[in-house]
Amino acid sequence: MRCSRRSVEWWLFCSAAWSALAVAPGCKQEEKKAAAVEAITVGVVLPISGREAKPGQYQKEGIELAIKQINQAGGVMVKSAGKKIPFKEVFYDDGSDQAKSASFVERAMSSDGALTVIGGYSTALGEAESVMPDRYKVPWITPGAAASAIFSRGYQYAFGVLTPVDVLGSTTAEFLQYVVDQGKLKKGGTVALALENTDHGIDYGNGIKQWIQKHPGSFNVAFSETFDLGSPDFSGLLQKIKTAKADIFLADAHLQDYITMHRQYIQNGIKHLMISYGARGPESDARKALGDGVDYIFAGIWWSKSLPYPQVKQFVKDHQEAYGRDPDSWYAATAYDAVRILAKAIESAGSLDKTAIRDALRTTELSGSLLPGQAVRFAANGQAQNPFVIVQNKPGGKVDIVFPKDAATGEVIAPIPTRG
Amino acid sequence: MAALDWLNVLVAAILLAGIYAVMSVGMTIIYGVMKIVNLAHAGFMMLGAYFAYELFERLHLDPLWGAVLAFPMFFAIGRLVYWLFVRWLPVSNQPTLASLLLMFGIWLVLQNLAYLIWGNQDRSIFTPRTFLTTQIGPITVSTLRLVAFAVAVVSLLVFEVVLRRTWYGRSVRALIQNRYAGQLVGVDTKRTASLTFGLGIAFAGMAGALFASLYSFNPDFGRPFLIRSFVIIVLGGLESASGVALGALVLALAETVGILFVPAGYQLAISFGLLVVVLLVLPDGLARLFERKYRPA
Amino acid sequence: MRAASSIAGSLFRAVRIQVLLPIAVWVTLAAIPWVGVEPNLVRLLFVTFIWTITGIAWNLVGGFAGQVSFGFAVFYGLGAYAAAILINEGVHPYLAFGAAGLVASFASLIVGVPTFRLRGPYFAIATIGVSETVRVIMTNLSVTGGASGYRIVEKRAFNQAEHFYSALVLLTVSFLLSVWIARSKFGLALVAIRDDEPAAADVGVNALTNKLAVHGVAAALAGMAGGVYARYAAFIHPQGVFAFNTSVYILLIPVIGGLGTLFGPVLGGVIFGIVEEQLVATFPEAHLLIYGALLILIVLLEPGGIIGIARKVRLPRRLRSAT
Repeated sequence: MRCSRRSVEWWLFCSAAWSALAVAPGCKQEEKKAAAVEAITVGVVLPISGREAKPGQYQKEGIELAIKQINQAGGVMVKSAGKKIPFKEVFYDDGSDQAKSASFVERAMSSDGALTVIGGYSTALGEAESVMPDRYKVPWITPGAAASAIFSRGYQYAFGVLTPVDVLGSTTAEFLQYVVDQGKLKKGGTVALALENTDHGIDYGNGIKQWIQKHPGSFNVAFSETFDLGSPDFSGLLQKIKTAKADIFLADAHLQDYITMHRQYIQNGIKHLMISYGARGPESDARKALGDGVDYIFAGIWWSKSLPYPQVKQFVKDHQEAYGRDPDSWYAATAYDAVRILAKAIESAGSLDKTAIRDALRTTELSGSLLPGQAVRFAANGQAQNPFVIVQNKPGGKVDIVFPKDAATGEVIAPIPTRG
Repeated sequence: MAALDWLNVLVAAILLAGIYAVMSVGMTIIYGVMKIVNLAHAGFMMLGAYFAYELFERLHLDPLWGAVLAFPMFFAIGRLVYWLFVRWLPVSNQPTLASLLLMFGIWLVLQNLAYLIWGNQDRSIFTPRTFLTTQIGPITVSTLRLVAFAVAVVSLLVFEVVLRRTWYGRSVRALIQNRYAGQLVGVDTKRTASLTFGLGIAFAGMAGALFASLYSFNPDFGRPFLIRSFVIIVLGGLESASGVALGALVLALAETVGILFVPAGYQLAISFGLLVVVLLVLPDGLARLFERKYRPA
Repeated sequence: MRAASSIAGSLFRAVRIQVLLPIAVWVTLAAIPWVGVEPNLVRLLFVTFIWTITGIAWNLVGGFAGQVSFGFAVFYGLGAYAAAILINEGVHPYLAFGAAGLVASFASLIVGVPTFRLRGPYFAIATIGVSETVRVIMTNLSVTGGASGYRIVEKRAFNQAEHFYSALVLLTVSFLLSVWIARSKFGLALVAIRDDEPAAADVGVNALTNKLAVHGVAAALAGMAGGVYARYAAFIHPQGVFAFNTSVYILLIPVIGGLGTLFGPVLGGVIFGIVEEQLVATFPEAHLLIYGALLILIVLLEPGGIIGIARKVRLPRRLRSAT
């Protein structure tokens, strides 16, 4: 009997157990006192790899630009500490994976001692992350998730800079009515809806349908179906849309799916009088992938660099200096303002107590905001309520704001000219 | 739905079938000859797509030429992979766990090599031909799909000729029927296996390159096509290109027609569902129906 | 007399090493929330426990009985949803976990009866088909939230230690169960089926019944693990719990650790729970590459996984049993 020899399992188990314990420090963290704080930790959890990598990257850039500018001015003024304290960013890449997203937010809120976590690009990641703020009583601001479902659960610590998506739907419908009123489209046209199978898509569809219900005779929904994100092939859906023979095609999709779907849309020879992909349209990646195929697509977005505000021009200039290119679509701007409203809330709270900051976020209004309306404040459910702008892609890579009228930089082209 | 719409659907199904057929031929012969379920098939398709992409980006080579070039390139890669990894697998008349896991491991490695080199976001190839459409009578079809279909058909015909007329083809058919008996009558199993693996990967790479002009792709590309290839193998049998074509046609029809009656979100479920149903109704696959005489030892 | 006491002494030493050491480690783990460790470590260990449980479960079917499933996540996911729905309806979480196990077990019967007739790779392919079909259905099923996922709202306050202990208890039960099965006639039957199914049938082992039984047990464990995880995350969605990648991880855990062994899944679970997160932080895009390479090496060089390699470092044990 070879009992004196230590068994393999013993060694393996021991090393596994000890390595597991060695991974993290053993004892409970000391509670940090505000006076000893040298930096305000802000957790940032965004996808910079995976399906949502591009928008995630843009939002990260917006956040970091804001933090850099605030820190350059010395930081945020904290009354209880009697001085300005700079921000410190703790960043996690969640790889567009919901479980990881939630895990990292949890980690930032519990172990990293973050005062606030900013993150959650796209509804899916936002939904997963939104569980954590109330659990750990740490404020969470999302500049990238807009589904109203997240904010209708009675969360006390969740805030969203993006206006709810159903408002995007109703703004789109309102815009189409405006085009009809201009005489460019016929009255009572039919609409084919292709909605992504998430809260985002469902909200968008609801926004449109409810607006149409309130305005009888305006339009008719001839077709409405959901599709799964991430599919390489939308031919089945597009076949049905082709058969539906509607006047207007309204889809709600993410960037990758927008590109895939629109390529197949054109290849199938489908035509409509107006086309939109929800909040996607002017992205430079789409222009690169589809060339002039993206011309005349319109989108309802939360921000455009063509907005005629001086702070917007300044932001575009700062962004160009910092990153060598203009901000792409709306992503960076909402993230930038998320940091700024957090800074304002901390100042008005006067302390680094998380609940006090949360209370301040509920009442703070960020004036001089980049977003349409030039002011951001969170409504009772935690979401902002700024209006949308509708932009339309024009030939040659140009993007015009076409709605609302007072922000417009160009005329709406409707119906879309047929491809030569 | 009008007759014209049905015609549209039918044409779409046929074009799709051609693409599906060339995609699954590779997996079919590898399975038939070596009894290896090539889970890395998706990985090689994905690499084929990136191969065409790189040729397009750097040399401005049209992706259809890229597909043609992919064939010999991936043939070489396939033989290399065989020599490095696959030849060590235990030989058997039945697929083994080891072969499943090995091919799976290779797939993981390929996927992640692609992540490291190209990153995770979708790529696509945009050429002046991307949006070209052709009129066939009253129907509009994408020119690219038509060309891809043509390439697929040609390659399948060539493959069928190879199977029927060459010594290699005869060895392949012998081994498919019974590996041990094939050895007994003097078939050089190692060489046939190496050539077969190379050929299988060559088809995978070429299919991937063809797909690159039709779809967007990322390192994860290929998994839904992998499942579809399984279905086609099971449906179409192992002995001939016509079997593969038949299986591909059945699947393509099921998908394009089925989607009309089911919400669009269930598109993938049709192929998965078909897979499960076929496996259950014909537990040994349709192939066995044709091969009842040749039960393996 | 001397012989007897030396045998007793040897036995004692054997017991001490084999059994006491794991118990010591277990006690350390159990004490962790008491000692007051940072929440991140508790979370990491919790995740490790969940992975290990699913690995142990898969190992029962794939390692002991030799039936390789590439779609095991379907039971994990069904358990997660079952528990989530019940907890939202007010059912006590522990009861919900049990129910989750039952639901998963029942599902395994439905899946197993037709698919266990299939040979080798057809079974593996069928499991992928089943798992993906369920995923697509769940993604479109609005009553469970569809693609938006499902949120659990609990009236009780969140107590991290409680979740930790639920997972630890389930892990202990799973492990002891696997030990018991390994040493029983049932386990012997499974190994016989794995090694040579027709021969096993010849000596009277009913392949289908035994496969279904072990499948049921494994599915129950995986389902309960899913339930425990769902309660902690408080949010689940089909693209996560039913993902092909989840099935892949569940499979990799015992294979890399040591297929068919008792501690293999534990080792694999530790790697996936703890090492994975550190690995992802250092090599964000390369960790699957490492697993893939490991898998290839293991298949070609040492099918026994890490435990197999470690065994070869020592002299081979006399008993090639499932230990």
